[in-house]
Formats: sequence, structure tokens, C-alpha cells
Amino acid sequence: MTDAELVQRCRAGDPDAWAELVNRFSRYVYAVCVKGFRLGDEDAEDVFQEVFTRVYTRLDTLRDDAAVRPWIAQLTRRLCLDTLASGSREQPADVELTPEQERTLEELDEAFDVREALAVLPEPCREILDRFFTRDQSYRTISAELDLPSGTIASRIARCLRKLRDELEGRSEPSEGSRE
Amino acid sequence: MVARASRGSWEDAGGVAAQAISIQERAALLIREDADAWQEAFAALGGTGEGDAAQRNFELERKLERAAAVPLEIGELGATVAELAALAGEFGEGHARADAVAAAALAAGATRAVGHLVEVNLGVRERDKRLAQARGSEQAALEAVERALESAR
Repeated sequence: MTDAELVQRCRAGDPDAWAELVNRFSRYVYAVCVKGFRLGDEDAEDVFQEVFTRVYTRLDTLRDDAAVRPWIAQLTRRLCLDTLASGSREQPADVELTPEQERTLEELDEAFDVREALAVLPEPCREILDRFFTRDQSYRTISAELDLPSGTIASRIARCLRKLRDELEGRSEPSEGSRE
Repeated sequence: MVARASRGSWEDAGGVAAQAISIQERAALLIREDADAWQEAFAALGGTGEGDAAQRNFELERKLERAAAVPLEIGELGATVAELAALAGEFGEGHARADAVAAAALAAGATRAVGHLVEVNLGVRERDKRLAQARGSEQAALEAVERALESAR
């Protein structure tokens, strides 16, 4: 299900869709709080709750359903900055993103893009990419566990990366966020 | 390098280059880990340590086990490098293929060195599964080099 379809189902009041929306974006929101802004557990939990409360109450203000992630990202960043500015971590009131935070947030966005793109690849591709890039398995291990000739693993991974790249390039940049 | 030079003529070149970068990062981590593991194992071999003899033996065993595990991973990675280089030797840009074949041969040499070091330094026996793993890596790397040489002829 695409992000846009998910948003439409949420608007229609489907409780399963809301659960899916939270599930889909919870790791991202939490990662932005903890890795991007280095919030402590309690502050991160507060921001997390507030983000999804606002998503729930303001979903109708989202103009482009496909742009739900940038919208959630914007909400999360703003709430993280508000939290920092409120002094819970003794930051100055006019908090701005540091270059390091910007970089971390960009990396998180990229990681999330890759995760989403991976999710729509065929299962054999997801499997082999996960084994090689995430679990650091050797070609020999992959070959033995998937019962594939060792000499074909590198080219299979390369083909799957090509599919992943095509998927990532095929994703259009969202043009607009909410009407807020 | 070979894959990057072959982007215009080989559709898998980008994917092969990405794998090479991942392997390079993994290798750098393993090399540091290997140095640490050996240092700890040597210290444990030479020192009196703390606790009773049984505890010291247990600690020594654990450190030797780790000191063997990391080179074995390096050997596995060497076989992976040889496979990847063989592929680049077969499909890469003509002027760069010889470099890929050379890389495969070097990687195979590294896997051979790992097998030798595991055998000698850790005193493993013929039936030890670690030795079998090291030899498996070595064999896979050699086969990859053979394929690379064959495609270069």
C-alpha cells in the first residue's frame, strides 16, 4: 500500500490504517528525535506522542496525500526544536539545526527512502540485499544458505541493486506538504 | 575501480562498485578487530592474569577463539573479494580487466595466508571446523581466480 493510499484509508476512518501509519513511521520519528536531535528517552517519547496526535487531528490539512512523510518529518523536527528551545536540555531559545544535525536528518531520510524502496522489491532481492549489506554475510554463506551457486551471488546482488535504484529514482519528489 | 571505469559498458558496474565499497568498509573494521583480538590473545598467553587457573584457562580459550574467528571472517571476505574481482575481470572494461584479475589473485593469496595463520598460530587440528572453513574460503577464492584467468585468456 502506498503512503497516499494509506492516508486515504486513514481519512476514511479505517482503524487498521491508523495502526499501519503509526507502524510505518514510528521508527523514523523516533530516529529523528534520538539520532537527529539527541533527545533523551522522555523527551523523545513526548515528541513521538505529540507528532502522532497532530497527525491524527490534522490529517485533513495535508494537501498531497503522497507527501505524508515529509509532513511528518516537518512536524517532528519542529516539535524537537520546540522541545530543545523549552530548555529541557538547556539549549538557547532560538535553536537552529546544526550542520551535523542536518546531515544526520538527511541520512535518516535516505535510509527511510531505501527501506521503503526495499519493501516493494521481490522477496529474493530483499533477502539477498539484507544478507549482504545488513548482516555482512559472505558470498559463500549466502550461497550455502540460499542454495545458489557462489559465482552468481555478486551479479544477483548487482541486479537487485539496479532494481532498488530504479525504484528509488521512480519515486517522485512530493511537491507540497500541509496547508499549515 | 574496475567497475567504476566500466559504468558505460556494463550495466551491473554500479552494483559491483557498491559491493566493493561495502567490502572495503567491512575489511577496515575487521583489520582493526583482528589487531585487537591478537593483542588480547598474546597478552593472555604471556600473563598470569587474575583468578584461579581454571578461570585463566577459560579466559585464554575465549580469547584464542576470538583471535581465530576474526581472521576466518577476513578469509571469507577474501573469497568474496576474489569472486567480485573475477566478475569484474570478466565483464569490466577491457583496459581494466587485468587489474581485476590481479585483485582476485591477491585476495586468494590473503585467504591462503589466513588458512596458514589459523593452522599455525592457533594449533588447530586437521578436523577442526575452523580449518575447514579457512580452506573452504581458500578453495572458493582459487576457483574464482581460475575463472578470472580463464576469461582473460
